[in-house]
Amino acid sequence: MISRSALSRGTQLALRGGGASKIAQRGFAAAASEKASYEPTNIAGVKVASRDDGGPTTRLAIVAKAGTRYEPLPGLTVGLEEFAFKNTNKRSALRITRESELLGGQLTSYHTREALVLQANFLREDLPYFTELLAEVISQTRYTTHEFREEVEGLIRYKQGKVDAAAIALDAAHSVAFHNGLGNTLYPTPNTPVASYLDESNVAAYAQAAYNKSNISVVADGASQSALSKWIEPFFKEVAVESQQKLDQSASKYHGGETRISKLGSNAVVIGFPGASLGANQPEVAVLVGLLGGESNIKWSPGFSLLSKAVASAPGAHAQAANFAYSDAGLFAIQISGSAPDVRKAAQESVKALKSVAEGGVSKEDVVKAVAKARFNLLSLSETSGAGLVHAGANLISGGQPLQVAERLKALESVTGDKLKAAAKALLEGKASVASVGDLHVLPFAEDLGLKV
Amino acid sequence: MPALSAAPFISARPWLKKLVLPFANWYANAAGYRKIGLRADDLISEENENVLLALKRLPAKESYDRIYRIRRATQLSIQHKLLPKAEWTKPEEDVPYLVPLLVQIEAEKKEIEQLDTLSVMKKH
Repeated sequence: MISRSALSRGTQLALRGGGASKIAQRGFAAAASEKASYEPTNIAGVKVASRDDGGPTTRLAIVAKAGTRYEPLPGLTVGLEEFAFKNTNKRSALRITRESELLGGQLTSYHTREALVLQANFLREDLPYFTELLAEVISQTRYTTHEFREEVEGLIRYKQGKVDAAAIALDAAHSVAFHNGLGNTLYPTPNTPVASYLDESNVAAYAQAAYNKSNISVVADGASQSALSKWIEPFFKEVAVESQQKLDQSASKYHGGETRISKLGSNAVVIGFPGASLGANQPEVAVLVGLLGGESNIKWSPGFSLLSKAVASAPGAHAQAANFAYSDAGLFAIQISGSAPDVRKAAQESVKALKSVAEGGVSKEDVVKAVAKARFNLLSLSETSGAGLVHAGANLISGGQPLQVAERLKALESVTGDKLKAAAKALLEGKASVASVGDLHVLPFAEDLGLKV
Repeated sequence: MPALSAAPFISARPWLKKLVLPFANWYANAAGYRKIGLRADDLISEENENVLLALKRLPAKESYDRIYRIRRATQLSIQHKLLPKAEWTKPEEDVPYLVPLLVQIEAEKKEIEQLDTLSVMKKH
């Protein structure tokens, strides 16, 4: 028994006050309200997507169509990403960092193959400050030589050290699948010759082409539309409307093929097939991802997914299926990494698993589980702010529809075993993109796996 | 850090500048560094972190030229010679190339100092 004096005065007051009665009044949990989807608007020529859940924090991002797909010279996207929040005409990089620290904000910049994202997470009431900051960063960064030499180059070199075999293999698979554009390397490795292309003047020229109103969108999660229109209008005045320099936007074409790269240390194999693009309504691909899976959702068990079962015989390897969706193309990929003999075994088993789907060897129960998994994946993507934010922004620039969650969910329900069978068959009959990285003496060729390249 | 200077005060007043300029030119020539091919900024002492950083930030060509001038001047000094008059640094060549970088670096350092010692006043 806790003696009365052990309770502090504050606790006693709280118990006596409204707090306790509120807890007592709480009834059954209300049905979870559906998360709002992003509402597209146009504020003073800037494409804006926003949603407001009334929470105390806001995520504001500028999504520019300046991912590695659009870079005219290798490495420029990475350069532009690292130059974010550096010295501007109005204030120094240090002042930007310290001021946002004082406001409790976080500034990040990252890129995907299609988008470059400058993001600020902060408390709701600081919206004006961070709107001004983001607008300033895209229109007034100075791209100085000394920052490039002293900071940007060092950061790039540091991040290059983290590029592992799995990332190289995924890059290589994209490269054989799409050649240029989407095939550009996501992060240059130390062996990529970027030094002759990547310098501050090229980055500045690329910034001019990338950061203009026709090429960016602003995505806000947790800010009201009235506040956004109040602050975006004055602060984005200095952002150029359009640039004379146009970025290469040619459509992607799937080629397929095989590439092998020897590397010390780690091993990875990526088996890619043409997948579903962002706008495409191909629910069977999403369900196939759920069915092949690879990551167990249950502790101490491989789970139901075909890949995790297939890899059980090669415990040193990890296999996972994913659909990398882009605006006009997609890559359905099975990524395998681990020790060389295990990766070899896992690659063989994974292809066998895919073939078993094509031959219709999937039980009805597994299809139900896969559909449920696909539904979860879709909902969780639209709900979590990171991926959903990039998705909304990228869609807005390319003029596509925002993610229609309800429709997609309905489509997922309609997927049957036969549809899955047909989809898997189509994949195996088409050309695959296979990339092997690591100990090439052990890693298999695509033909040995029984794939067409 | 450059020494305390009256130059900003004087340049801000054209009449004063006009008055002082002949004397300044006479002084720069009399100092003698132009006769061994140096520029005024070559004389800034390197034993200073700010100057070292500024030297690192010099463009490659500027840096090469600076080293060349200093080596030539050292050689002349050893030999107790002066350059032929045609090769003396002309007044129009004697432009500050390091001081602008130094000013920028000092401003950066000052900003760090200010931000490190600031006190926050909450509005609420």
